[in-house]
Amino acid sequence: MTNRRDFLKLSALAVAATSGMPGFLARAATQAGGSKTLVVVQLTGGNDGLNTLIPYSNGAYYAARPNIAIPKKDVLTVTPDLGMHPALRPLMKLWDEGHLAWMENVGYPNPNRSHFASMAIWHTADPTQAQADGWIGRIAEKIGDPFCASNLGAATPQALQASDFSLPSIDSVDNFQLKLPGGMNTPFESLLNSPRSGEAAYLTRATRQMLKNTARVQENVKKYKTGATYPDTKFAAQLRDAARLIAAGVGQRVLYVSLGGFDTHAGQRAEQDGLLSTLAGGLSAFQADLERQGLARDVIVMGFSEFGRRVAENGSAGTDHGKGSVMFAFGQGVKGGVHGSSPDLEDLSEGDIKYKQDFRGVYAEALTRWLNLDARGILGGTFTGPRWIA
Amino acid sequence: MPLTPLSRPLTAEDAAHFLRRTAFGATDAQIRALVGQNAQDVARAALAFDQSRASSTPFDPMQGATPGAALQLGRGAWLYELAYGPHPLREKLALTWSNHFVVATDKVRNTPAMLDYLNLLRRHAATTSFERFTLDVAQSPAMLRYLDNDQNRKGKPNENFSRELLELFTTGIGAYTETDVREGARALTGWTFQGGRGNQQYLQQPRFVNQPQQHDAGRKTYLGQTGNLTGEDIVRIATSHPATATFVSRKLHRAFLADTPDETAVKGSAATWTRTKGDVMAVLTELLASEAFYASRARIIRSPIEFIVGGIRTLGQPPIEARTLLNLAATAGRMGQVLLEPDTVKGWDGGREWINDTTLLLRLQVAAALTMGSKAPNLDTPPSLLALTGQERPAGAVLLSSLKGRQRTYLSLISPEFQLS
Repeated sequence: MTNRRDFLKLSALAVAATSGMPGFLARAATQAGGSKTLVVVQLTGGNDGLNTLIPYSNGAYYAARPNIAIPKKDVLTVTPDLGMHPALRPLMKLWDEGHLAWMENVGYPNPNRSHFASMAIWHTADPTQAQADGWIGRIAEKIGDPFCASNLGAATPQALQASDFSLPSIDSVDNFQLKLPGGMNTPFESLLNSPRSGEAAYLTRATRQMLKNTARVQENVKKYKTGATYPDTKFAAQLRDAARLIAAGVGQRVLYVSLGGFDTHAGQRAEQDGLLSTLAGGLSAFQADLERQGLARDVIVMGFSEFGRRVAENGSAGTDHGKGSVMFAFGQGVKGGVHGSSPDLEDLSEGDIKYKQDFRGVYAEALTRWLNLDARGILGGTFTGPRWIA
Repeated sequence: MPLTPLSRPLTAEDAAHFLRRTAFGATDAQIRALVGQNAQDVARAALAFDQSRASSTPFDPMQGATPGAALQLGRGAWLYELAYGPHPLREKLALTWSNHFVVATDKVRNTPAMLDYLNLLRRHAATTSFERFTLDVAQSPAMLRYLDNDQNRKGKPNENFSRELLELFTTGIGAYTETDVREGARALTGWTFQGGRGNQQYLQQPRFVNQPQQHDAGRKTYLGQTGNLTGEDIVRIATSHPATATFVSRKLHRAFLADTPDETAVKGSAATWTRTKGDVMAVLTELLASEAFYASRARIIRSPIEFIVGGIRTLGQPPIEARTLLNLAATAGRMGQVLLEPDTVKGWDGGREWINDTTLLLRLQVAAALTMGSKAPNLDTPPSLLALTGQERPAGAVLLSSLKGRQRTYLSLISPEFQLS
């Protein structure tokens, strides 16, 4: 028997059942074998789009936000009317190269100012909130491979939920391996073989899937050598893991990363400045890494938040929940520029920017023109959006 | 219709089930002690807790050298109380309420506020007045800070608390309009706190204050009622709304009956809630002695904290080093449940959300740490299969019975049966 003192340190004592690729997964891997990857970045809490892509030539913007507006002199100009938040400077190289896109006034019909209802709408791509599974979960079902999309992080977002199988969440690639004490593999396998029903059967299935997924990652991931220095943030570490998975050719078509804390009801400047800095630092390192590995042609990033903030600041130098907001995307496969018109601050809906572009049109572009999938089947309708794929 | 009470005396599996749900788990002896008893007596006895605490805890959050260290010690202290305290049901309810009246203490960054908040949850764990409970939460410095109502002033509304009061704490979505959110924010103006602000003052006691000069005393209409409404009025109107009885009852059913509640049973509890005007003690007494409760086996996926605390209590509460307990609290965080800090104000969704590859791997490691790792506690008597799985003959019973002590305990802890309650 393995020395108890040491066994927790041992690397994968891979379970016998995973040594050969099971038929279903082998088939699925072939089907999933596209070369393009979409990385989805979720900004949790409702990012203030107006202070992200700033209408710096618009007096109404400064009038509505006496304390938290970004001064014109600090704005990173991208058009005669719009400029990026100064903390996004690390992304300016992508803009200058024509590989950074901003989508203006993105939202959905009958906007919901609840974080959770609104986030569920973005995750399910269903403003009626009738669907329980996520749009990326439906991609996985379409492709037939439970490993074609993964979340980087501890909790699986609703976007990655599917009815037939659970999509992996990988909190850390290094820790994504099974460590059983010596002699326990066979009894563990036998235990899982006992017939079960209900939630017990679900847990058995999830455990079996985990055994397959961890083996698949560990077989491949050693191929990666880092090509960039990442900032010391959890967000950047997760992007580094995303780069490792892409470089290892593990087979995921969609990777999902989240950055939280955007619910800035009070003292917004300091909080959002820090968050956007974390965002830009992580993303620019990720892009540099991909470029050095020669992978940048095959990867794009698309970012969203569940809603923007109210146009006028509140009495606490913050902003309350709003409606439409900006999305961003970048990569060599992205057509840079501002897609859509600047927000109209004279024509508001209950104090909020009106949405002009449906987010499902933005998703549809990524699905059809990047991942080469049938967007209609996944989104449950035909949506056209800005042509942001190059 | 109120819930039908269980009429049979408790069997061994009934008793194991009750203790899995209300005490995170128990030893074989604790289970056997309830066999043959009447369900009503058992529920009443479990709910008759006082505010006494575990006799010796290694953690004192007020000794924290920084706000972050104090927070870690606070989590260690709560984990200790959960695992070793005399009233597991009180702690289970406090955990449930911390997932209802959510406060994330890293935003609060004040140790007395964090401790006051947790003690408030314990004091109201089986409250006889949900309205009083909600009012106390609304006026706690932790909540005032977390949802920014301390910034909510006359003419300068901040809607954060007003919105979540309706959406998450009382009626739920569908019972209110955006106008109610705005009018509620006006009524809640003036409630703030003094002291304990900033990183330097993290050990200073903050204190609720009502500032009349910051209160908007004008007329408002809130959930159909009009008048010069105050914050107290808003809390009363929201907590006594019919939707609140169902919305909060459903949360109690999710904590004690099933990840996916049976809506007929929820209605039963909501009827009792309405009849008693939000007497949670009455609702719980009925719930925990009901046929519905005893019929609902293995329908809750244990949360990370329930998994860890369930492990420790099922092993008979062996002593575990303070450092290891802090590690376990941190590991619960990596499994998705940071004590006193849910990811969002909605709290943890629970159920299948607890399960993914990474969290399953961590459950395997926690089980190993409790049974076979270098610092695993000594176990004179390994737990019975009934204590571990809640069943006299669980799936894989023959296999498990053929294994010896530690190995059997380890494999049982990572079995689907242990992970459910």
